[in-house]
Amino acid sequence: MTDPGSRSDLALVATRRLLDGAVDVAFHLRPGDRPLVASGESVVVGAPIVERLRDPQLIEVAVPPSVDPQPGTRVADGELLFAWRNHWRVAGGELTEPIDTPVAGIVRDVRPGSSIVVRASGRAMHGIVALGAPTRGRLHIVAGSDGELRTGSLDVGLAGTILVVGSRIEAETLTRARAMGVRGIIVGGLASKERRDFVASERRQHAALHRLPAFAVLVLEGAIRRPLAGPMMAVLQALVGRQVAIAIDPPTLLFDAPDVVIPVPPPDLVRVRAGDLAGRDGTWVGSLGPRRFAGGVHLEAAAVRFDDGRTLAVPLGDLERFV
Amino acid sequence: MTSQPRAFLAIDRGAATTSVALIGRVGGTWRLIGNLAVPAAADTGTAVDLLARRIRTADPDLAMDLGLGGSGDPVPEGLPRLRVTSHRPRRLAVVAASERALAGLVGTADRSGWRTVGASVEKMDPLAMSGLLLDPDVDAILTGAGDPPRPDERSALGELAALVAAVALRRPELPIILAGGMSEGLPAFGDGAQRPGELILAPAAHADDHAGPLSVLLLELALSADDARRAIGPATQALADVLDRRIETIILGHDASVRAFANPSAGGVESHARLSIVPAAAVAPDDPDDLVVDGVLVWSTVASDRHRLRDHLRELRIAPWADAAGEGASLRMAAARAALVRLVAHTDGKEASLAPDLVVTGGGVWSAVPAPTVALAVVDVIRRPGASQYALDHARLLGPLGAIPDPEERRHIVRDLADDLLAPLGSIVTPAGLRAGRSAGSLVVHAGGASTEVDLIPGGLELVDLAPGEVAVAEFKFRDTVRMGTRGRHFAVDVGGGLAGLLVDLRDIPLRLPERADRRRDLLAAWQQALWAGADL
Repeated sequence: MTDPGSRSDLALVATRRLLDGAVDVAFHLRPGDRPLVASGESVVVGAPIVERLRDPQLIEVAVPPSVDPQPGTRVADGELLFAWRNHWRVAGGELTEPIDTPVAGIVRDVRPGSSIVVRASGRAMHGIVALGAPTRGRLHIVAGSDGELRTGSLDVGLAGTILVVGSRIEAETLTRARAMGVRGIIVGGLASKERRDFVASERRQHAALHRLPAFAVLVLEGAIRRPLAGPMMAVLQALVGRQVAIAIDPPTLLFDAPDVVIPVPPPDLVRVRAGDLAGRDGTWVGSLGPRRFAGGVHLEAAAVRFDDGRTLAVPLGDLERFV
Repeated sequence: MTSQPRAFLAIDRGAATTSVALIGRVGGTWRLIGNLAVPAAADTGTAVDLLARRIRTADPDLAMDLGLGGSGDPVPEGLPRLRVTSHRPRRLAVVAASERALAGLVGTADRSGWRTVGASVEKMDPLAMSGLLLDPDVDAILTGAGDPPRPDERSALGELAALVAAVALRRPELPIILAGGMSEGLPAFGDGAQRPGELILAPAAHADDHAGPLSVLLLELALSADDARRAIGPATQALADVLDRRIETIILGHDASVRAFANPSAGGVESHARLSIVPAAAVAPDDPDDLVVDGVLVWSTVASDRHRLRDHLRELRIAPWADAAGEGASLRMAAARAALVRLVAHTDGKEASLAPDLVVTGGGVWSAVPAPTVALAVVDVIRRPGASQYALDHARLLGPLGAIPDPEERRHIVRDLADDLLAPLGSIVTPAGLRAGRSAGSLVVHAGGASTEVDLIPGGLELVDLAPGEVAVAEFKFRDTVRMGTRGRHFAVDVGGGLAGLLVDLRDIPLRLPERADRRRDLLAAWQQALWAGADL
C-alpha cells in the first residue's frame, strides 16, 4: 500500500449527520381523527395532541342552513368530508383513543385528516426506518454494538425503557419486549422477515380492544446484521438513564438533554459500511484512484488504516463518515 | 453556453452516483477530456478538484490550454457547468370513477415520472379515498374519465368531483389535474385562479398512447427543467439528428428508469423523442414487494432466498453506492435486469418492437461492471428480432447535454462529442424463429479483407471479436426461414465493432429460462462469463 492520494479527498466519502438540532416530527392523521392542538401552541411531553378515531365510519348528515360548513371542520357527528346531494359526508365513530406526544416542542402545522407537525426541542439522531408508534422511555443498553438481544434476556424490570440491543433482533423478541412493557428498541439491522412479522404483530395488537403502550423500533443501519457505528454508540452511551423518544416520521431518536456532552468523532474517522470489512472503523489515509475489486469491477478506492495497523484499499462507496 | 469557453463541466447528479466530466475544446471541436463517478453523497466540488488534478497530471499543457491552471491551482470558479440532477419522483394520487378509467390514468402516470397510488369509486369508499388524497405524502392529484365519460363512469362522476374538490379546498397547495370527461366537474372547484396549486384541465388518457398529450403534460408537471431524466428526451433526439439513426435510449436509475425513442428530423420538421420515465422501474424500489424480489431472483446468479434478497435490495436502496464489488456487483446486474423488465412492461408498444439502429444505455448501475456485460443484460430482457448497434453513455453526458436549452447548440455539441460520449459495445444480431437442432446455419464475417466463419447453434450466444471502430459485413445463411426485421434465409448485415464485438443471440424470443433455480443460475452465469472478464462469482 504505497503512494496514497490526497487527504483533502476525504470529502468524497459519503457523510452521515450524527446529530441534528430541532427536527419537525410528523404525526399522521386519518379523516375523523380530532386534533387537540393548534398551530403555534407549545406542547409538553405526554400531552395528548390527537384523539384518534377507532374504526371510522362514513356517515351522512344534514347540516342546518344557518351553519357555513367547510370540508375538514368538525360537527357533532365527526369531521366533514364533502357535500353531496344536500347532505354532508362525515367521518365519524364512537370509540376514540388519545395520542400523546413523546416530545416537547411547538406545533408547527395542523391539518385535520393529514398530519400534525411538531418542532421537537432538543437534538435528534437519525435512523433508517422506524416502525410502530412514537414513544418515549429511559434509555438502557443491553447489548454492545455488535451484540444481539435474545428473548430470554427480557424481564419486566425493563418496563418503561428504550433498549439498545446491538446489531440485530428477532420479531419474537420484539413482540415479547412490547408485552413486557418495554417502550422501544434501537437496533443496528432489522431483517425483512423480522420486519414483516413485527409489522403484522403490531397490526394485530392495534386491532385488539386493550392496547399496550406505544412501542417503536428504530433501525439505525439497515436490513442486514451490522454493528452500530462507533460514534452513534457513543451518543447512546452518553444518554444511558436519560429519557429519550423515538419518532416514526422522520425515523429519529430525540432527546432534550443540553447537559449531555456528546463526543465529537475525529474528522478522519471513516467507517466501512459494506463489503468484507463491514462495520469496522478506520482512519482515512487518502484516495487511491480506480482499483480492481472482487468480481472484476473497477471502483474509486481509498486507503484506510485500521486498528490492527494494516492499511487497506477500500472502495470509496463502502465508506462513510459522521459529521 | 453562448459565450466561447474553452472547457465546461458536465455534472449529472444521480440518486446513487454523481458523474463529473470535463469537456474541452481541442482542435476546434468539443472533446471529452476526462470523467469520474463518485457516490452521490460525496462532495461534488471535491470530485471536480480530483478530476482536474488527474487531467493536470496526465497532460499539464492541455490543462493549461483549457484554463484549468497548473498543479495545485483551484478549479476556476468561472468554469461553466452544465448540471442536471435526478430528483426523487413525486407521488401522484390517481382517482377515477371506474377501474377501467383508473387503469388508463395510472398507466399513463406510471410512465410519466410519477410514483402513483390509485383508487376507483368502484373499489374504494369515499372515506378511504379522502384519506388517500389527504395523505401528506401525496404531491398532486389526477382524476379523470373518458371523453365523453362511459356509462359505467357517469353515475359516479358527480360525487367523485365533490370529493376531490373538498380535498382541493383542504390542501390548496396541491396541483389538481382533471382529465377527459372529469372537466365537467370543474364548477365544483370554484375559482381555480385563487388556489396556490394549479388546477389543470387535461385530455383523457388512452391506454395505447405512450406519448400522448396527457403523458407530456404529466411529465412536465412531474419533473423540473434541470432533471436529468427529463433531459434524456432532447439528448436522444439530438443524437438521432446528428447520427441520422433511429435511436432507443435506456437509462436505468436508482429512483426511476427512462426509455426514449427518436427518429431523425426530416424535411425541416423538428422531431421530438418519445420519452417515458418509469419510477416503478427503479433499480432499487423503496419497499420491494414479493413481485419485485421474485423479479430480481429470476436473474440472480448468486444463490439466495427471498428474505435475504429483500434485505440486500433494501441495503441497495439505503446506500446504493456501497457494496458494488463481488456479490454486490452480481446483485446489481440482477436488479438492473429486473428493473429493465419492469421498464419494458410499462413502455412496450409497436415502436419498441422494432429493432432500432442504435441502442444507447446508461445509468450509474452500469458504471462499475465491465461494459460488454451491459450489452448482454439489455438483450437478455429486450427480445426482438433484428440487428442493432449498442453503445454505453459511459460518462453520463446525455443528461447534461440534453439540458442545453437551444436545440441547435445542443446538436452542435452532440455532433462534436458523439464519438466520445458513446462507448461502442458492439453489434447484436437476434434472429427469431430458429428451430431447435444442431445447427441453424452459418455466419461469415467479412472484415478487413479476412473472413471468419461461425456455425450458428440455436439456444446460445455466438461471439465474434470485432474491435471498436472496426466495421464488417456479417453474412448469415440459415437452413430455414427466420425473422430479422424481414423474413428470409440469407441476410447480409453491416455491423460495427465494440467492446463486446459482434454478438449473435440465438436464444429464444422471449427468453426461456429453466424453472429450477440452480440450473437457471448456472445458465445465466455461463452466458455472462463470456463477457465478464474476471467475474469470480
